[in-house]
Amino acid sequence: MAEEFEPRIVAFLCKWCSSAGSDLAGVSRMEYPPNVIPIQVMCSGSVSPLYILSAFKKGADGVLVSGCHPGDCHYIKGNFYARRRIALVKGQLEFIGLEPERFQMSWVSAAEGKKYTEIIKDFVNTLKPLGPQTKLRRNP
Amino acid sequence: MVKLEDLKKEATQILKSGKVKYIIGYAKGAAGFMPIPAFISDPEDAENLTWNPACVHNLTKFIVDEKKRLKKEKKPDNRPIGIIVKGCDSRAINVLLQEKYIDRDDVYLLGVSCEKTGVVDEKKLAKTLKGQRVVQIDFEDNGNFLVTTESGSEKIPAEDVLAERCIECKANFPVVFDIVFGEKIKRQVDKPFQSVETIEALSQKDRWKFWKEQLDKCIRCYACRSVCPMCYCDECVVDTISFAVEPDTSAEEKAQKIKWIEKSPNLSENIVYHLTRAMHLAGRCIDCGECERVCPLDIPIRFLNKKMEKDAKNFFDYEVGFDPDQPSLVSSFKDEDPEDFIR
Repeated sequence: MAEEFEPRIVAFLCKWCSSAGSDLAGVSRMEYPPNVIPIQVMCSGSVSPLYILSAFKKGADGVLVSGCHPGDCHYIKGNFYARRRIALVKGQLEFIGLEPERFQMSWVSAAEGKKYTEIIKDFVNTLKPLGPQTKLRRNP
Repeated sequence: MVKLEDLKKEATQILKSGKVKYIIGYAKGAAGFMPIPAFISDPEDAENLTWNPACVHNLTKFIVDEKKRLKKEKKPDNRPIGIIVKGCDSRAINVLLQEKYIDRDDVYLLGVSCEKTGVVDEKKLAKTLKGQRVVQIDFEDNGNFLVTTESGSEKIPAEDVLAERCIECKANFPVVFDIVFGEKIKRQVDKPFQSVETIEALSQKDRWKFWKEQLDKCIRCYACRSVCPMCYCDECVVDTISFAVEPDTSAEEKAQKIKWIEKSPNLSENIVYHLTRAMHLAGRCIDCGECERVCPLDIPIRFLNKKMEKDAKNFFDYEVGFDPDQPSLVSSFKDEDPEDFIR
């Protein structure tokens, strides 16, 4: 019997909120799919479009960028820059024909472990019917 | 109409008085009707200057090159450089000013009006004339071009042979200049993003099919990067060798240098290269269309940049190259930037 497709998600999590949020989900023993590979970054504003494209190139089925709610940034305005930049990347990826569901962004604070688990659950559920991402992948 | 005599007279005068170091303009080419970029430092050579709808090049690139050269010289000649700018080129100058790459005193701008039309697309022209050899092409009134072929001259409506970018042009008159030739007439542009919208209208599958086919062709000659006036970084992310290699740099260190983009012209690498380039030009590309013109494989690179321009306009109300004092697109934000895509 063929195994069910398990998507691989690369999540760029802000050190000050989303990463702490995912930590909270962990220590609170909340259950969520193990499909996500978390990468801690210092700020969502430090996520270069190149990180996102590289993740897709190396075989990620979905990429999540998560930062602090607007106004809560540790560096005052990093997430505002991220919001602008990610909007452009998202437009560009859709423009060349990648499924728009494969790239998501979210605001998760350090207290929102529950929200983080829900985002991952929903993300995995939307990725499963899409199948593996082969478009941007090297040697598909 | 641009009076070529006036342009030549002004060029001779500023060269004689030593106001400019030299003038970058267009001169008659050695083969065919397409002009070539000309560097004129002798006042007598100003006679060679020309201006016609075949002057497609964006000469701003040479200002960037000159700036790089000056940095290396011990006793740089800091006199301004005269440069002939079309509407789009003048916007490129504005972006360079905005990024403080050049000072306003570094250049003396001789603006020329595109006379409500623009420049020709060589391929379209060849198609329209069905193989007749063009000798000369000139601006005519009422949005026509006067094309002289070997068998005589004929009037051609400009829309038939205009370059794609000129059809969507927002500034066919220089927005920044020291002296300007020709009339200030703005052409009405109804659909400034028509080319992007045609692709966006396709289904997601067709869009992928289109781009897969196009980007698979890329041989990574980097002609698009070389010709772009905005690609002036000393180190480019695609050049893995551009990190400092010293005598004691070991082979291991060289091998472990992060390679964001491999050199091999594979589809995946090509996509990352072109998307990264488009991202780096977001809010900076003034759509001079040079990347597309020089592409040996005719990849419509312009669309990627145009898409960024469209998003910048729609999402952030940002227009490139009209105001040298505005903050750049990705290093500024507004509280009301859209965030409906964020959970």
